[in-house]
Amino acid sequence: METLTTLGRAVRLGATALGLALLLVGTIWGVDDDFPFGPFRMYSTSEPPNAPAPDTRVEGLDRTGAVVALGQEATGIRRAEIEGRQSRYAADPALLRQVADAYAERHPGAPGLVEVRIVIRWYGIHQGRPTGRWIDETTVRWQASR
Amino acid sequence: MTRWLTEAVPRGRVAAFRTLVYLFVAADLVVFTPWIRTRADVPGELYQPLLIGRLLPLPTPTPTVVAAIFWTLLPLALLAATGRAPRLLGWSVFALYFEWMIIAMSYGKVDHDRIGLLVALAALPTAGRARHGDPTRTEAGGWALRVTQIAVICTYFLAAWAKLRFGGLDWATGSVLARAIIRRGTEFADLIAQVPYLLIVAQFGILAFELLSPVVFLLPERWRLAMVGFFYSFHLATIATITISFAPHLVAMASFLPLERIRPLVWARSLITRRRDGAAPTGPAPDGDVPASAPHDDVPAPAPHDDIPTAAPPLTGPAPAVGPATP
Repeated sequence: METLTTLGRAVRLGATALGLALLLVGTIWGVDDDFPFGPFRMYSTSEPPNAPAPDTRVEGLDRTGAVVALGQEATGIRRAEIEGRQSRYAADPALLRQVADAYAERHPGAPGLVEVRIVIRWYGIHQGRPTGRWIDETTVRWQASR
Repeated sequence: MTRWLTEAVPRGRVAAFRTLVYLFVAADLVVFTPWIRTRADVPGELYQPLLIGRLLPLPTPTPTVVAAIFWTLLPLALLAATGRAPRLLGWSVFALYFEWMIIAMSYGKVDHDRIGLLVALAALPTAGRARHGDPTRTEAGGWALRVTQIAVICTYFLAAWAKLRFGGLDWATGSVLARAIIRRGTEFADLIAQVPYLLIVAQFGILAFELLSPVVFLLPERWRLAMVGFFYSFHLATIATITISFAPHLVAMASFLPLERIRPLVWARSLITRRRDGAAPTGPAPDGDVPASAPHDDVPAPAPHDDIPTAAPPLTGPAPAVGPATP
């Protein structure tokens, strides 16, 4: 059997304790910014049983008037990244030009975008179950100045 | 406590886990999170480095930076999967993959499925050399697997803690699963969502199993494996309903399994040998390279001091057909 030296054992014990302490501190006081020691807060928020659920999407209008879906495939920006920065986009809709730029970068031949908007589709929920009804709400809109 | 933390495991298990982890890193780059490469197309202003990215002097991802990391990490991970130069290759892969993750998470959304994998990548270089099939037991390797297991269980236990911190006790009776299904549910999930109160019951179940997950360390071998099997089945259900794979976590969780019993290369070799010696079908397999699908043959490797009781159920099944998994 391959055994550890006393020093090797002590160092490992210390590293384990430090890692656990950081994870614990991150869970109690941390935020996502403290990756990789932030809290494991996936799906951790509590929503009332009858509150409608938001389904966010980004879409654009190109020069020809066609609606273009601007999901991760189209721009390389993940939906959760848009949602995580929703308030920044709302405060400064011109930031959505970056989404148009990312789309143009990946689709050099496509007609340029003249409008980018964040749309939330609110799905009804009743007693923890989807009702099947929804309404769309455009929360942020940026239009290219012509 | 220290004894438990560094409980020796067969080197063959460390070797198998190492191969699995580094192959996953390569697969993660190409298959599981290919969107990270698209960072090159996203304007640099969208990069808002995480705390760790602000502490360390890391470059803003440009197409060159992203391509350089990708094309260095991919071959290094494949090389590391062979088990050669475990320290040099191991630390290099850890550093590059960690930077890759910082890039991935610095655009407004942080994923929470990676701590187990990151811990495995940080710990494996300290486990030293390990050959596939070597029954010699190692404490350094035991520690590497143990801390990975701890990180995996922390992901569950501390996730329950976070639910209580951010959601409170109302989390269990709220509509979090209904919302998840609306946002990314499969047709299967839409069916489930129609059953009255099922989602609420599932929420209680999730909270309970996450809070109880540390119990896995107190169970005897056999029940421990059963509980890990339950964890895997939970993720299977998550994939089937809301298409969240948690793949890095699933790989890290393999640190609980007696991986040394899975020998795809040995099986493939013995399969080929058998085919070639097809003229003499009744003879015993040459050199003792016996596939695990024949449990009553006298299998050579599991040495007397192997820590798995012979009563444990075989984990592998009739696998030889799948062929080699290692390059």
